[in-house]
Amino acid sequence: MRKEILITGLGGQGIVLAGQVLGLAACLADHLEASFTQSYGPEARGGACSAQLIISDAKIHYPYVRNADILVCMSQSGYEKYRNMLKHEGTLIVDQDMVRSVESVSGDVFPVPATRMAEELGRKMMANIVMLGFVTSVTEAVSLEGMLSSVADSVPKGTEKTNLAAFNKGYDLGRAMLKARTKKAAAKHESKEQG
Amino acid sequence: MNDDLKIVLFLCNWSPHAAYQTLQDSLAPLPVEIRMIRIPCSGRITKSLLFKAFETGADGVVLLGCEAGACRYGIGTRVAQRNIDDTRGILNLLGLGEQRLGFESFNPDQHQELLAYLTAFRNRIGELGKTPVVAAGRAEVSLSARSADEISRAHNVYVCQDCGKCSSACPLALTGKQFSPRAIANAAAAGDLDSPAIREDIWSCLTCGLCYDRCPSAVSFPDFIKDMRCATPANAKMNAHEGFFHSLMRAMTSPGLPVRHWEGLPSDIQTDPESKILFFGGCAPYFDTFFKNHLGISTSETLFDALRLMNFFDIRPSILQNERCCGHDLLWSGDRENFIRLARLNVEMISDMGVEELVTACPECYRAFSRDYPENGIKTGFKVSHIFELAEAEIGKGAVGFKKLNRKITFQDPCRLSRTEEGVQLPRNLLKRLKVADFTEMRDHGASSLCCGNCAWTGCDSYSKAMQVNRLKQARQTGANLLVTACPKCRIHLTCAMEDPFLENEIRMEMMDLTSLLAKTIEWE
Repeated sequence: MRKEILITGLGGQGIVLAGQVLGLAACLADHLEASFTQSYGPEARGGACSAQLIISDAKIHYPYVRNADILVCMSQSGYEKYRNMLKHEGTLIVDQDMVRSVESVSGDVFPVPATRMAEELGRKMMANIVMLGFVTSVTEAVSLEGMLSSVADSVPKGTEKTNLAAFNKGYDLGRAMLKARTKKAAAKHESKEQG
Repeated sequence: MNDDLKIVLFLCNWSPHAAYQTLQDSLAPLPVEIRMIRIPCSGRITKSLLFKAFETGADGVVLLGCEAGACRYGIGTRVAQRNIDDTRGILNLLGLGEQRLGFESFNPDQHQELLAYLTAFRNRIGELGKTPVVAAGRAEVSLSARSADEISRAHNVYVCQDCGKCSSACPLALTGKQFSPRAIANAAAAGDLDSPAIREDIWSCLTCGLCYDRCPSAVSFPDFIKDMRCATPANAKMNAHEGFFHSLMRAMTSPGLPVRHWEGLPSDIQTDPESKILFFGGCAPYFDTFFKNHLGISTSETLFDALRLMNFFDIRPSILQNERCCGHDLLWSGDRENFIRLARLNVEMISDMGVEELVTACPECYRAFSRDYPENGIKTGFKVSHIFELAEAEIGKGAVGFKKLNRKITFQDPCRLSRTEEGVQLPRNLLKRLKVADFTEMRDHGASSLCCGNCAWTGCDSYSKAMQVNRLKQARQTGANLLVTACPKCRIHLTCAMEDPFLENEIRMEMMDLTSLLAKTIEWE
């Protein structure tokens, strides 16, 4: 098993933290190898920034993402800059309110209202955690238990409960979306057979 | 030995009685188990009279009338046939079996045939055996000054400031009925137990709770009324439908009754006997059977749609074939003893199934299980949820949408939900998710919404009807063409009001339960 994950967004959205949480869960809970590189610098003042993560059950010899299995975009500029990194049939996950135009790709695309959901929960800055919940449920790159403990350990003290609620919200949405897709595919298949 | 069998024979005074008399005169061997009651016409024996015999322990009941064309009053035999059909339906649901109810017509000269029929009926009942119904009856009580004082104290009646906000909000009083919650509270506080306010009016109250909502002293009037009814001798003349439903509920307290509540379950619905989630249906199948000829109502659809909605979310709940009434209406019409019997029976059966969560689509079942059971010392040990709570939680997870429905809707709140903040909000959150052409509230809505006119099958009169007409006019004024309800009783009562031949065009409206509306339009996005 080897997964290359690229998370992009704006400085301040918690992109780096999101990558770190994923990596910690993979290493500490799932006992996998993980490497994590972050790009910051001028991006920290706004503009595209990214977190690059490789999770593997074998040793990782090169730490940069070259062909992302999973690309998570939380801003339009992040999407524009990194969309070519997504490999053929890779999974694209975007914040649907932040990334307005998405060109068709060969793999699965998941639009997620992560920022809106975080706002509904009371804190816009939790959008990254909502997104992590979603990534956990649709990609199976890391385990749910690992992510729950990793999120609880990584967020500021006293905010564990709200952050876990945000995580679960994203996780539930992911499950619901997968279910919706299978159900719709089954219904389509059925109507095709009947027709 | 079947000597202790009890068979009640309702015998029409005309043709069959003449035949019966011939048998008596010739000392024919009439079965000794048969107890004959002479009646003016078979059409006068209502469903409630037929069923009352079973409630009080009859093993079999026979109704004998004249040939359809020979009825002295024209329509008696036809009416009798309808009543028999409906009552047989109820007997089947209860697992008593329709064979226990005989119906036949005889001409005056058919005494041999009559003897053969009665003997065969006795033998049939002998084969079926004793009825599993144990006559429960309502305990004899009389209201003492002490019990009235205790009840008044428990529900803060003594802190009444006599301001009259209750009476000015009471929907019954506003309809013009000589009824005042304030006068009842005053009479109780003064210990005037013989006043009509206590003897009569406590049976008219709708227990809708609007007065409690408005009371500045928090006099818990509905609970006061409930306890007063339990402490007062029954007032049979206030029973709607001649007490049929009270009889039905009391009959259901018999543990040995092999109830077949879910017999009509459509085959597309998936259930799982191992599931830790139980769907509790409520009395809808009985309502549909009882009102079949009168209103042609189908409240069972709500139960099926609730199950379909759960199936949509991949929840396959268990169901309880031997399900009994929750007992809400027994408690609220003053029969606490039998309410507790029903409650114990339900909780015992449900606990035996290892259920962790009970889901219901009926606001009265919801209230009974979540509040009335614990308040009467019955611990449930499982979580009680309304189907709306479950739906809201599941839909909240996302990826679910609703098909467009080109209807303008308005909403009738059920009293047993709408007197709490969550109960007002819960259906509205769901209503706002629907993709309908328009949703407009009625003038009185939410916490101020009006009762559908009746509660606990008690005290239906012309004022109830007037209330229902007012309510339906409010609904029509919103410009809606679909009235969304959330309680089977609201649908029954409002449908009944729509039968008014003079006002029909002003008040008729299509109705649909919110559960059905959700189940019919929900889709994966």
